[in-house]
Formats: sequence, C-alpha cells, structure tokens
Amino acid sequence: MHFQLASEAVDTARLRDALQHPGSGGFCAFEGWVRNSNEGREVDGLDYEAYAELAQSEGERIVAEAIARYGVTDACCVHRTGALKVGDLAVWVGASAAHRDEAFRACRYIIDEIKHRLPIWKKEHYLSGDAEWVACTHVHREHEHEHEMHHHAHPPAAPFTPDYSRQLRLREVGEAGQAKLAASRVLVIGAGGLGCPVISYLAGAGVGTLGIVDGDRLEASNLHRQTMYDAADVGELKVTLAARRVAALNPSVKVRTWVAPLQAEQAVEVFGEFDLVVECTDDMRSRYSSSDAAVISGTPLVLASVYQYEGQLQVVEARPGMPCLRCLWPHEPAPEAVGSCALSGVLGPAPGTLGAMQAMEALKLLLDLPRPRDAALVLVNLLDHSTTRLPIDATQGCALHGGCVSVARQALAKARQEAEIDLAFGNLEGALAAGFQLVDLRDAEEIAAEPLGVEAWRQIPSTQIVERANELGAGPLLLVCASGRRSAHAARLLRAEGWQHVHSLAGGVRALRVMG
Amino acid sequence: MTMVNLQYYAQLREQAGIGGEQVATAATTLGQLYEELCARHDFSLAADVLKVAVNAQFCGWDHPLRDGDTIVFIPPVAGG
Repeated sequence: MHFQLASEAVDTARLRDALQHPGSGGFCAFEGWVRNSNEGREVDGLDYEAYAELAQSEGERIVAEAIARYGVTDACCVHRTGALKVGDLAVWVGASAAHRDEAFRACRYIIDEIKHRLPIWKKEHYLSGDAEWVACTHVHREHEHEHEMHHHAHPPAAPFTPDYSRQLRLREVGEAGQAKLAASRVLVIGAGGLGCPVISYLAGAGVGTLGIVDGDRLEASNLHRQTMYDAADVGELKVTLAARRVAALNPSVKVRTWVAPLQAEQAVEVFGEFDLVVECTDDMRSRYSSSDAAVISGTPLVLASVYQYEGQLQVVEARPGMPCLRCLWPHEPAPEAVGSCALSGVLGPAPGTLGAMQAMEALKLLLDLPRPRDAALVLVNLLDHSTTRLPIDATQGCALHGGCVSVARQALAKARQEAEIDLAFGNLEGALAAGFQLVDLRDAEEIAAEPLGVEAWRQIPSTQIVERANELGAGPLLLVCASGRRSAHAARLLRAEGWQHVHSLAGGVRALRVMG
Repeated sequence: MTMVNLQYYAQLREQAGIGGEQVATAATTLGQLYEELCARHDFSLAADVLKVAVNAQFCGWDHPLRDGDTIVFIPPVAGG
C-alpha cells in the first residue's frame, strides 16, 4: 500500500525506514504542516474531511503514477484526517530512488497531484472564532512545466501576450476579424485525430472560447495521429490533456470541457451556447446527433471523417434551404458499413489533413471569408491528390420529408425513446447478477484477442444478429461489442423486430477495461 | 455497350483493390451497373447506404448511363 489516510499522528521514522532499499542512493521527503494563517486570516487549527474510498484509490493511483513516471524505487504518502492544530503534520510524502533527481521530482509530483486531485476538504478554524471550508484551487503543478524547464533555464517572467500579426496582416482578417475571433465560441466534439489540428489551430488563431467534448482516455495507439499528446499522457482523459494543451498554447483562450458525449437533448442546448460546432468524432451516431442538434439550434456545423487515405468534408450551415447530413444520407448506416480507424487502419496525416481543413472552414465561417455559397460534399483522396466537390441539392433531401428541422426533431424523439438501450456496468459479473444473458457480437478474432472473462450465453457476429434472432430468448439480453456501437445498433434493430428486453453494454468491452 | 469511367472511395476502393477503372457495360442505369460491380468485386455494401454521382452531380440509382460518364461511388465513413 503506497497511500494511507491516517486519523492519528503519523510515525514518519517508520515511513522513512520502509522506503530504504539497497538500490536507492537518494531519499527525499516532503512534510506539509498546518500553519497559523491563510490568506491573511489567523488560523487556530483545522479539520480534514476525506471522501475516504475515492481518496484511497486516487492516492494509490497518484503514487503509482509517480513511481512509473520517474522510475523511483519506492514512494509513499500519508494524509491526515480529523482535527489538527497549528504545527501538526498534515501530509507526508517520501520517495527513494537510485539518484536524487528522480526522488525530488517524484516527491514534488505526488504532493502537487494530491493537492489537485484528492477529494479532501479542509475546514479552517480562525482565531476570530468562526470557521470556513476551504476548497483547493489553482494548484501549480510543477511537472506540467518540466518540459519548458528543460529547454529554458529561466522561464519567462512576464505574462504572455498573443501575437496575431501574421494573420492580422491578411486584408480579409485585420483587427476587425481578430475581434470577431476573440468574441467567438466554438465547440469541438472529439479531441482525437481530427480534433487535434482543429483545437490547435483555433486556439492559436485566438478563438475566444473553445468547448471540448470527449469521454475517452488517451491510448498509445492514438499517438500516431493525435499530435497534441505525449507518451507520458497515456491513460489520462483527453479533455484534460487538450485543455492543458490549449492553456499552454494560448493562455488567452477560455476552455470549457465535457467528459461524456452530449446526449441528444443536451446537445441542442449546448450547441445554442456556441457560434459554431466542429464534429471530430469517429462515431457515426455522434455525427447524426450533431447534424440534428445543429439544424434545430441553428448552429453551423463542420463535419469531416476519414477512411484510410481519404476523407470527406461537409459544412452544414444550418440555415433554411441549406442541406444537412440527413439530406445526403437519410439514415444512420450500420457501424459495420462505415469502417473505423481501429478496424480499417489509418495513416496519421489523413485525419491531420481533414482536421486542418475543418479548422480552415471554421475560420472562414467565423471571419466570413470568401467561400462557395452552395453546399457540397468534398472528397479528398490523399493517394492520388484528387479533390472532388459534389454539390448537394437540398431540394432532394430532407425537403421531401418536411424539411431538415422537422426530420431532426423526429430523430431526436426517436433517440429519446432509445436512450434507455445503453446500460453501463462496471463489470460483466454485475450484468449477470442483474439477470442479463450476454450476447457477444464481436467476431472470433476480436474475442480471441480480448476474451470477456465471463461466459457469454451466445456468440453471434453483429452482421448476423437479425437473421439469427430466432436463437435468442425473450431476455433480458445484454449485447456486447468492442465499443458499444455495434451492440447499440443491433439492439435497435432487434427492438424494431419486436424484442422488448434487449440492451447494449454502454462503451463496450473497452469501457470495462477503463473502469476495471 | 456503354463505356464509363468509375471511381471508388473508401471501403469500395479497398474491396475492389483499385481506385478506379474503365468498364464497358450492358447496364442501362446506375442501379444495374452497381449490381454488376457487386458481383465482380464482391462489394459488401448495399446500394441504399451509398451515394452515387455522375459527372460531379449526385444522382438517383435509376439515372441512365451515357458513354463517357464519370461515375463516383461514395460510402459513408466514420473514422476520425
């Protein structure tokens, strides 16, 4: 155990002894004490209150991160809870390592992260007799600045002032254009292969507010195309990393983050708080939901998607008479039909190129730069350099079914009915205990690569689920696939065929891996 | 027979193993042509999930073929 909450005084000598290892040539400890003042008020003592279970697991995680990050031999942290007096030890951190540098840095990392992430509240008792719960805010985390420190012995002391001179020089931009950008709010959905260039370019251009939506944690397989992130970031939430990246690139940009995909109705509401939305997910369902929310809220949307060496780009202006995604493809295709980076493969510059094009379209819309006034689907083939622009005839799309807004509202109503299809479970034992029969929709290769860990009641590849539906009982059934997309689609198909008690494991096997 | 130039995108390009080809066909509509191509290249996608464009204009599957047409088949893609 590397982390402990202690309700009694801490024996620091014992903690130090436990970190002694023959291979350690350096040991570093940090002690946090209760001091007699905070923000100008005299403090008599304080109470620490922790959300114990969460603090315990998060504390363990932080120390494990420090050990892995700096390669120290061992590390440990103890945090007090309960009533403390001035001078009492509140927190103790120790790290031993082959060399002193790692020990210092691991120690610093642990205390900074503890202060930032641990669900511990402190109630200060003032000499004046009153007391106040104090929240932990604005923690400087030294390790976030390690990279800069290595390159610049003296970090700049003056606050950073953005220099937009290279774009101000453009006649079509100028001071007026820059002011438009500073006043604009752009929502970027997905901080992956497309989202990285979009977020970077819009932050660099000085867009006033960037909203970022992403529920995923960074995986090592993302790094070849998701250029904002580092190897050391694997396992962290992408929105956290992206927000940090924007703050580092252009501190004048305000960032708002959402760590879960926007649900249908919430999307309409959130879109209304932005001037423009850029859809950068690898999820067809999200694209349709974004197109619906865009036309209902009247918010322009820039869509792009990639396949191996090529991509598609469409701007939905969300004005009457202009086409939406459903004008082209009225119904969401089955996940098996559309491919994905994981299954079909992709070269990093493909989303990089399409993402850069999305950023360009976003800036053109915000600055009202010259652009074609008719809507089109743009196909970009990066192997043969061909770009094909196919005009979309809005009169042949949703207009034949009551118009984009009406079609989008119907889709939203359907999404509301289907919302209860997705069920989240921390582990599959929980689903079995709840009485579900598991149906694994993955193909044999995927199952071999990542077994469920529990016995599936049936294995039926997602493409065969409807034709083999007679093999299914009345349920309740929980359909399972890698990401939750194929299973949700299959559940909708089965419900349309009359199955009542069929659900999909939200986030698929991947979500189990993250939660477990 | 009608001579047409075909371009394949995404999954179709991958399944055909080529980005495009010139074919002589007895088909008279886009729908018939796609059926012919499905048999030849073992395409897995049904026509109703695709978009098709002739000479850079989206068309319906009943659109007639003419000599020299450039026909583009476009599947929806989701990668990002």
